[in-house]
Amino acid sequence: MKMSVALAAGLLLIPAAGAYAQGVDDAQIASIVVTANQVDIDAGKLASSMGSNAEVKKFGEQMVTDHTGVNKQAVDLVTKLKVTPKDNPTSQSLKEGGAANVANLKKLKGAAFDKAYVDHEVAYHQQVLDAVDKTLIPSASNPELKALLVKVRPAFVAHLEHAKMIQSTLPK
Amino acid sequence: MRGLSLLAIAVPGLLSCSGPGSAPAARAPVTHTVTIEAVAYTPPVITVKAGDSIVWVNKDPFPHTVTAKARGFDSLPIQPDGSWTLTPSAPGELTYICTLHPTMTGTIRVE
Repeated sequence: MKMSVALAAGLLLIPAAGAYAQGVDDAQIASIVVTANQVDIDAGKLASSMGSNAEVKKFGEQMVTDHTGVNKQAVDLVTKLKVTPKDNPTSQSLKEGGAANVANLKKLKGAAFDKAYVDHEVAYHQQVLDAVDKTLIPSASNPELKALLVKVRPAFVAHLEHAKMIQSTLPK
Repeated sequence: MRGLSLLAIAVPGLLSCSGPGSAPAARAPVTHTVTIEAVAYTPPVITVKAGDSIVWVNKDPFPHTVTAKARGFDSLPIQPDGSWTLTPSAPGELTYICTLHPTMTGTIRVE
């Protein structure tokens, strides 16, 4: 699989983020969750307008809807818990990776855009899922925050599987 | 079409109005609830009697659908905290999915 430099750079930032994230506190977790959702909302917005395949456009719209919903729930909870999201190396890496992905996608059109977007969605959801399992859930100390992470995890699994389904239908 | 007619009703209270002349019923219709949460239908398999109602309540922060895998019914997007009711009127097994999240499936067994 040929991957653009920008896309590869975007993806490489995520595993690096996992290494940073050991021992994150609840304020940092809140920031990571909000950023992870926002990054996918930004990519989804782009796909809903620039995607050429109908399924890709629809998936992009759905990512905006679903991750906006998850973010609202996360923000409501951290507001209730009086936790102020704290910027940290992981959320920074996610932001930079997201910006690199969007910059790369903006250079593409048609089927090339669709493929790059969906490939990145598959990789991104897998990496976020790994971070949720290996770092965020084990590190969360507030039980309600931990419960929220457990509850939203299946959404990332469903998105990953959905993205893989679309990926399998796109021209190689 | 499998001869199965399905009636989605908006007001569950209307269920108590099943009039005379309907099939002999040994019991009053029951309303069952399926919770949609964490991108899953709970319970995933539900067994009901014909004439009972099933209410799907969406507890996720984003929309889901309850859509027959074959033809028959489609809730269209159920918003967060929204619900949708189906009253199957004939026995059979109905499989449904969420068109927004194809990993989600559920089954209704109508006796």
